[in-house]
Amino acid sequence: MTKYFEIHDLSVGFQTFEGIHPVLNIEHLSIERGETYGLVGESGAGKTILALTILGLLPKPAAIIHSGEIWMDGVDLLTRSEKQMANVYRGKRLAMIFQDPMSTLNPVFTIGQQIERVVQKQQRLKGAACAKRCLELLDMVKLPDTSSLIHKYPHELSGGQRQRIIIAIALSCGAEFLIADEPTRNLDVTIQAGILKLIAELQKELQISVLFIANNVGLVNVVCKNAGILYRGKLVEEGASEMVVNAAKHPYTQTLISAIPHDKSEKLRFASLVIKPEAQNGCPYYARCGIAQDICTNQIPMLKKIDGEQRVACFMAGGNP
Amino acid sequence: MEWFSDTLKTLQPVIRDYRLSFYLLNRNALQRYSLIIIALLILLAIFAPWISPFPTHAISETNPQDKLLPPSSRYLFGTDELGRDLLSRVIFGTRISLQTALIAVGLALLVGVPLGAIAGGVGGIVDEIIMRITDVFLSFPPLLLAIAIASFLGPSLQNAMLAIVISWWPWYTRIIRGQAVSIRERQFVRAARATGTPMTSIVFKHILPNTMAPVIVQASMDIGGVILTIAALSFLGLGAQPPTPEWGLLISTSRTYFLNAWWYSTFPGIAIFITVLVFNLVGDGIREVLDPRTRKF
Amino acid sequence: MKKFILRRLLLGVIVMLGVAVITFFVARVVPSNPAAKWAGPRATPEQIARATVELGLDKPLVVQFGKYLADLLQGNLGYSLRTRRPVTLELMESLPATIELVFISTIAAVFIGIPLGVISARRKDQLVDHLSRLFSIGVVSLPTFWIGLILQLVFFRTLGIFPMGGQLSTEIKVMMEIPKITGFIMFDSLITGNFKIFFDALWHIVLPGITIGMYPVGLVARMTRSALLEILSEDYITAARSYGLSERIVLWSYALKNSIGATSTVVALSIGYTLVNTFLTESIFTWPGIGSYIATAVIGLDYPAIMGVTIFSAFSYVVLNLVADIIIALDPRVRT
Repeated sequence: MTKYFEIHDLSVGFQTFEGIHPVLNIEHLSIERGETYGLVGESGAGKTILALTILGLLPKPAAIIHSGEIWMDGVDLLTRSEKQMANVYRGKRLAMIFQDPMSTLNPVFTIGQQIERVVQKQQRLKGAACAKRCLELLDMVKLPDTSSLIHKYPHELSGGQRQRIIIAIALSCGAEFLIADEPTRNLDVTIQAGILKLIAELQKELQISVLFIANNVGLVNVVCKNAGILYRGKLVEEGASEMVVNAAKHPYTQTLISAIPHDKSEKLRFASLVIKPEAQNGCPYYARCGIAQDICTNQIPMLKKIDGEQRVACFMAGGNP
Repeated sequence: MEWFSDTLKTLQPVIRDYRLSFYLLNRNALQRYSLIIIALLILLAIFAPWISPFPTHAISETNPQDKLLPPSSRYLFGTDELGRDLLSRVIFGTRISLQTALIAVGLALLVGVPLGAIAGGVGGIVDEIIMRITDVFLSFPPLLLAIAIASFLGPSLQNAMLAIVISWWPWYTRIIRGQAVSIRERQFVRAARATGTPMTSIVFKHILPNTMAPVIVQASMDIGGVILTIAALSFLGLGAQPPTPEWGLLISTSRTYFLNAWWYSTFPGIAIFITVLVFNLVGDGIREVLDPRTRKF
Repeated sequence: MKKFILRRLLLGVIVMLGVAVITFFVARVVPSNPAAKWAGPRATPEQIARATVELGLDKPLVVQFGKYLADLLQGNLGYSLRTRRPVTLELMESLPATIELVFISTIAAVFIGIPLGVISARRKDQLVDHLSRLFSIGVVSLPTFWIGLILQLVFFRTLGIFPMGGQLSTEIKVMMEIPKITGFIMFDSLITGNFKIFFDALWHIVLPGITIGMYPVGLVARMTRSALLEILSEDYITAARSYGLSERIVLWSYALKNSIGATSTVVALSIGYTLVNTFLTESIFTWPGIGSYIATAVIGLDYPAIMGVTIFSAFSYVVLNLVADIIIALDPRVRT
């Protein structure tokens, strides 16, 4: 049974003066049609890089894709040419909500001009119909006073407004696969809830699949069916989000979960910061791991199935080395 | 003496970068050949009297019976209207161009850098005044001021060089001042001021050594432009005077004859082109390497 | 926005004042004996003395500067030592020919240089890029005056395709009446339907045009390339691509619009360069513009003429940069 979206053995590195620096090492990740998958990781873990790899938008000379396959609806995206990606996939079938709305909006065009361009291209509307659709989209993300908003420039708006515009533009593509890179980061809680509800509705209605990237594990359990934890480019745990959150097997996931305060009375328990020297040929988490053993310094753990569909990349997980 | 070693110390990252850029420059065939050619040019300039087939033709001796001969095995570049070997004259021209350019850039640095350091380091009204003066000088299109000054000082190679120095120093002042302003706010400068160190000492011992790096890069890129300017001034009659074998002057003199003596205009021009080109290429390469945004990695 | 323009204008005026000061300094203080030069090489001591009074050189420096400034404001640039005619008048007569050349080189810079820079940036490190960069660097390493000579050598002497110089052929000048409406031969002949004159003028402008135009094309291409490289690495370009926008729109609309500031600055710079390059090239092609005028003036040490052209060029350059700065200020980010 092949899933709608699957990543196999993806390995990406960046060319630096001192050699090639590995940034992504994902053995397995799959998403069904109409499903939301949550990807969690701290800053710099490689989440955005994964998103760009899927879209084929990695910075060309510096980034090297060593190996891997990204299957979407029966086609390996990594075998597509730039032209094919641009004409067939990007926008039409794949869209992305970017993380930083200030740098991802063009500073010299008005909001209206920017969203219109995309609507023109992806929805093939012109003139009045196009303008109407743009205003509709801006309404969907609960932006106020849209008719005057479209004449403004990005720098004239607040962070939260810009964020919602980015979401609107991504949604206007009408893609079947949406990558949402921390879409609700700067938004206050009520609007956050509204956006999440909107995405969920669109999902049900149009059967879009969503790769939801967050650095907040708690959010993931609410929104996503399955989840994966990324640590320094390596997928260390993945499975049903309920299992990952409530029955985390990897030490890193466990520290992430334990850092969430559950109760007002409970004092914030900081994840214990164990610092050891790096294990060059071993597990990337070795330096911070509290339960590491010798084997962890010599080999890199692979994702193994434990407890049904949950996979963990740890020698110590499940109590078996 | 201590100041010198201080400057060397702060230049270390740049020198390391130079070694880095050397390494990277050598990876690109174009850059490698350019560096080799620059080395050759320097050798030509230094050993001109020994390399030229007819060194005396370069300055005083004339040879009227061999006038305006096309290139041959005896006269590889042909001869000019006074029968002088063009090859020798072009080789000596290398010496003149490189020498004058180096001195001009050096003097411009000598004037512009301290001014920029003072402007940026002291700030306030001193900064305003120096920068306004710099602005006025920089509002002349390139070369124009040099032409005006050279014509009023009187045509000669030295005056042309002086004219260049006068029009070039503001660029360096601007660069240094920008650097100095950002350094001024750094901790160690504030500490020095708090302990009552005199301003001159602060400017010259602390600020100046830390600002040198970008301007040195710029100056080495400017050498090509200065060589062109000298040639242009000489072409107009404002720089080198006959019988000096300066390239621009050679081209200017050739105008009367070139339609029938193509070699007379062609070879000096090629000399200018190649010299300026290699300096520009190397300068461009250095800039590409040191600018983190255009780096390949 | 208006405040900005006003401030910039004020700065421009101050700068022009500074330019006047410097040119005055160079013209009056630097030469050893301006009166002697004015009186001529065979002047008697009494003639020199009279010239000294005439030129106001016996008055204190400040007064001299005052008169100089007053003259400038009235457009009086003195009298040419060679022709004894007002410099301003001679400048105005020579201007149209030079403007034609500058115009052509600017058109080339914008319509060849900018696209070249954009394509070069997009296809960085590919063959197109390497060739274009080599071209740009090569072209700014060439002495402009030398190019003119070589072009004449090849296309006039050897191939005989283009004329050696002048704006029009002698036959046309002798046999036909040249329309003088704006002073621009090509424009005037075009609107009066005098196609023979027009094509003759066109034929004559090719070689000088190429000579003058190469440097601006190289300069603008180089600057546009580096501006575009910076812009293309920005996140909003990646975002635009992710929305499936065509590469054509991403490059020529989204990216290019962000480079307007840098582009207008470099176009202003290239016009300034071109103007001074005409000093070097016009005499080669016997092109009757400001360049020939000052080249002759320099050889004859005609100081008022030299000064006149210098001031005019400097002022034009200041105005050009003012316009470029205003265009930069149109950037929506600067507006607020």
